[in-house]
Amino acid sequence: MKLKITIYLFAFVLLSIVLLEACKKSDATDNTSKTTPLTFTIPAGWPQPATNIFASNPLTEEGFQLGRKLFYDGKLSKDGNFPCASCHQQFAAFATFDHDFSHGFNNAFTTRNAPGLFNLAWMPLLHWDGGINHIEVQPLAPIAAPNEMAETIENVLAKLRTDSNYPNLFKAAYGSTEINSQKMLKALAQFMGTMVSSNSKYDKVQRGEATFTTAEQSGYTFFKSKCEACHKEPLFTDNSFRNNGLAVNSFLNDFGRKRITNLSSDSLKFKVPSLRNVELTFPYMHDGRLYSMRDVLDHYSTNLITTQPTLDPLLVSRIPMTTTDKNNMVAFLRTLTDTVFTKNPRFKQP
Amino acid sequence: MKVLKIILPLLVTLLAFVSCEQNADAPAPLQGTVKVTFSNKVKGTNLVLNTGSYINNTGETYSVKKFKYYISNVSVTNIDKAATEVESYHLIDQSNAASLSFSFTANAETYSHLNFIIGVDSLRNVSGAQTGALDPLNDMFWTWNSGYIMAKLEGTSPASAQVNNKIEYHIGGFSGPNNVLKKINITLPITAQMLNIRANKTSEIFIDADVDKWFSNNISFATEPVCTTPGALAKKIADNYMNMFTVTNVVNN
Repeated sequence: MKLKITIYLFAFVLLSIVLLEACKKSDATDNTSKTTPLTFTIPAGWPQPATNIFASNPLTEEGFQLGRKLFYDGKLSKDGNFPCASCHQQFAAFATFDHDFSHGFNNAFTTRNAPGLFNLAWMPLLHWDGGINHIEVQPLAPIAAPNEMAETIENVLAKLRTDSNYPNLFKAAYGSTEINSQKMLKALAQFMGTMVSSNSKYDKVQRGEATFTTAEQSGYTFFKSKCEACHKEPLFTDNSFRNNGLAVNSFLNDFGRKRITNLSSDSLKFKVPSLRNVELTFPYMHDGRLYSMRDVLDHYSTNLITTQPTLDPLLVSRIPMTTTDKNNMVAFLRTLTDTVFTKNPRFKQP
Repeated sequence: MKVLKIILPLLVTLLAFVSCEQNADAPAPLQGTVKVTFSNKVKGTNLVLNTGSYINNTGETYSVKKFKYYISNVSVTNIDKAATEVESYHLIDQSNAASLSFSFTANAETYSHLNFIIGVDSLRNVSGAQTGALDPLNDMFWTWNSGYIMAKLEGTSPASAQVNNKIEYHIGGFSGPNNVLKKINITLPITAQMLNIRANKTSEIFIDADVDKWFSNNISFATEPVCTTPGALAKKIADNYMNMFTVTNVVNN
């Protein structure tokens, strides 16, 4: 008897589910494809991102993998030679290793130093001048730039549509083989936006899993008192735009944020870069003019120009440093290198 | 147990009906369609791309190769009622006849005003990759300084000293003092022509857009032939083109 009731109840529940499911509207999306949701994990002790860049871009393993393939695919460039990864190399924390400027289509140089790509979910404005206001629209800039990937979005989409793999990959991610710019850009955002670098020695020290050497600790103490105002932990940037006293390069005449805001008060201001993985992202500054970490420290201690009207108020007296301070700082900055990130197989070329 | 045997199948049958029922208590209001059609003109004559020759207010001759603009957040309203188009983004493009009109559903009421924004509201300028009328493929999105080109006019004028006598106006900027977004509220001309929407019928609003208005207040092709960044000039031209619309007719059916 009991068994019978159980069977009845079970049948009832099952039927209810079937009926309720049947009433759900079947969208244009193909119900046969199932995606695997991904969770974006915020490292312990880190702030919530100011805005959720995935709010209208639900993370899935299939979307991430599509973005990963696109990131490494030369088809996104005019002649096939310049995938995103040509300027953003994983072993250099996704900057261009040992290049002031990167190379683009037709033997062209870029006009700014390629930044490392990590922790972008916490970065409200992208590019050195903050001209890009959402990670999803960032790829439009290098794809269209004649000295970078030099391609049109129309052509990129045409190449993807006639490819033997992409229609199926889009179907896996979005339930349909239809390829459009929005899907492509959202997939790229899933790949780039989930790149998180949070496993450097510094992080291990914060978590109590490692200890600084004496030099590293002295460097950290110096950093806390002199650098932290702009390179705010744990992201090592406050995402602001500041003039740090570099002379104008007369070839580039790059006035930074002013180009975006039209404000003379923004002249020569550039995004404060994160110092995470700084050992790997040399050369430094928006135009890669400073080759080594030591050069950067020399800039702040003695070389920076204090006469520009928009110079950051924190730098009017430069940052006095002894040679020992500099040695300690270099030791500390090296603890920000995250080889777990630079060797993470999920971000490798598929 | 017998009771259960009888009740369960009954419950299941009931569920089958209940689960698919669509909010049936409120009767759906009667609805019709608003159709809005734009005619791009220059001082009253039809705009003809490439071959048409026109003269601006400072006496300079010009012709137009591209003319397109966004119309968004469209609604028709009366004192106590409103019909607002959902996902309301339209790129009016003179080179694409199909783009010159659009339709949306409205409750069967009388409406006295047509409202829209020239351009794309600021929220969509900061919300990542969009599709449809807002797809970057439409060549109305800046890649170097994220944001939509709200209105675009390209052509030539012998007065322009630019290469090939080009004139080029890409009007954008959605924030700050040089925000070019313009809210337009047009009072439908006279009482007899108020928009009257009837159930399952389409009523139409016809609007002229006068290119000439872009160059009011002495915009000169000699001195201001190009505007491709947000800023004071873009603001000045947007302040001009916000006056380019005239409702010429309302046809109620």
